[in-house]
Amino acid sequence: MQLFLFQVLNGLGIGMIYFLLSVGLTLIFGLMRFVNFAHGAFYLVAAYLAFAIVGLTGSMVLALVIAPLAVAILAVATERLLLRHTYRMPHEAQILITFAIALLIQEVVIMQFGPLGQNVPVPQALSGVVFLGPFVYPAYRLAVVAVAAVVAVVLWIVVEKTKLGAVLRAGSESAEMVALLGINVDRVFMATFALGGALAGLAGVLAAPLRGVEPFMSAEALGIAFVVVVVGGLGTLSGALVGGLLIGLVQSIMSTLWPQGAHLMIYAAMALVILARPTGLLGRT
Amino acid sequence: MDTPRFPNVTTLIVAAAMIVLPFVVPATLASQIAIFATAALSVTLLLGGAGLLSFGQGLYLGIGAYASGLLLRDAGFALLPTLLVATAGTAAVAAVLGAVMVRRQGIYFVMLTLAFAQMGYFAMLAAKDVTGGENGLSGLPRRFDLFGATIASPLSFYVLSAGVFGLAFLAVQRLLASPFGSVLTAIRENEGRSEAMGYNVRLYKIAVIAVAGGIAGLAGSLHAVFLGFVPPTDVDLEVGQRMLVMSIIGGVGSPGGALVGSAFYTLVSEALSELWARWMALIALVLIALVLFLPGGLWSAGRHLTGLLRRRDADG
Repeated sequence: MQLFLFQVLNGLGIGMIYFLLSVGLTLIFGLMRFVNFAHGAFYLVAAYLAFAIVGLTGSMVLALVIAPLAVAILAVATERLLLRHTYRMPHEAQILITFAIALLIQEVVIMQFGPLGQNVPVPQALSGVVFLGPFVYPAYRLAVVAVAAVVAVVLWIVVEKTKLGAVLRAGSESAEMVALLGINVDRVFMATFALGGALAGLAGVLAAPLRGVEPFMSAEALGIAFVVVVVGGLGTLSGALVGGLLIGLVQSIMSTLWPQGAHLMIYAAMALVILARPTGLLGRT
Repeated sequence: MDTPRFPNVTTLIVAAAMIVLPFVVPATLASQIAIFATAALSVTLLLGGAGLLSFGQGLYLGIGAYASGLLLRDAGFALLPTLLVATAGTAAVAAVLGAVMVRRQGIYFVMLTLAFAQMGYFAMLAAKDVTGGENGLSGLPRRFDLFGATIASPLSFYVLSAGVFGLAFLAVQRLLASPFGSVLTAIRENEGRSEAMGYNVRLYKIAVIAVAGGIAGLAGSLHAVFLGFVPPTDVDLEVGQRMLVMSIIGGVGSPGGALVGSAFYTLVSEALSELWARWMALIALVLIALVLFLPGGLWSAGRHLTGLLRRRDADG
């Protein structure tokens, strides 16, 4: 029972990172109906930037500021240079071009940092443990949960309470209508890509000390992000949160019961949700 | 799209290329090109024929490869029955999964292909007593008898691979030129209208998924025979992506594109892997450029060129 509760706690921690990883993907899809296969590559770039920054300066805080910003710039550059030319093309073209961009980014990362995995040290101040009742929990993981929770609240306020959020929500209903109302949809698209990229970047930086960095973490992350957004409901903020926590929990609990089956289960869950409830557990029908 | 005729100029070009290939590149490399051209053909049929994008065709290649490995090693099957059973078995699996997948369209269909491919990979790892897990399946025979001939030398493997690709290629060409192919085109262009005209769209999709799955399984079977070993990467998500990349580079508008794509990819990787380990970056760049500027792939470039020449002839 103790062990089980500990795995639940652990699962929530993983789940919050999954939420950060997926929420950008879902925002971009919600607004633009655009499936970004390069999302995992954004996460990868941020993780490696964190590795480089922590290696040079020893400061995780600096990494948390610079890496998401840099990835946001990368996301906007990709959107302006390449992706916007595909908005009028079929879904397939968008999937293929973002897939190719992800491949290119992965290769560039290997050119810079080599093909082998590296470790990123947990920041000194958070390297200890925290006692939560009967549990001993790493302080860093707790900090990650806190950061992700703050991001979730801020995002919720932005989407539900601000003008930008109103535009985002309206845009996901009908981007054309929003454009007719005199709003520069082009700029909104750009901003969404920047935000989505920054969020993936944040997830990458936070995950780096937990799992280290390696060039192929982007493919794994993309798979997880797809599962999360599909299970929660493609295009919804709450779906990313619930989906992230659910998948984090399932993975954590399964890892003690049947480790080889953990991945099998989450992809089976994804297929089941698509077939039984394509709008996701929280999506509107 | 090819003019739906069969056989046509494409048939001739592909046949000529298959004959010339072993004289210009080493036989082992030529075999790889033929095997992956067969694999890419599976994607070309799905995407070019019916407009179905699948990231998961690697699953069927993997099933074909593992099934063949087990049949050859443990069940003592000969070469021909192995190829046939692997193809038919994979097609049957694809039909079952297809029946489930056709319930969803567009991005959800793509996600399902991803989900099933991932499940296949992790199932392979979980069943490591049968599949060998991360070690793969080794100990397959290295020489085969087929119609009285012995297949053991690199060139004989090429003749086998090229023959198999040729048959699969003719089958796909024939299929696309048939009334069945016309219905697939209609579904690709406008699914709703095809449905309204009374075609059972789902059934047609299941059929094409089964055929494409069978072709991928055949490629996997051939790959196992060729390597004498089934590497776990044969059922990886990456192999499905490689098949997709090859068929996109070659162009999905014609089955000939599968051969061009496979040859391009295999030759680039072979030529550059010694010089520049990150040759994949080049493939990615080519892919980006093709999506933006030449959606018909390299095959359509040839078509544009001959079109230009013909126009110049007419002018002059």
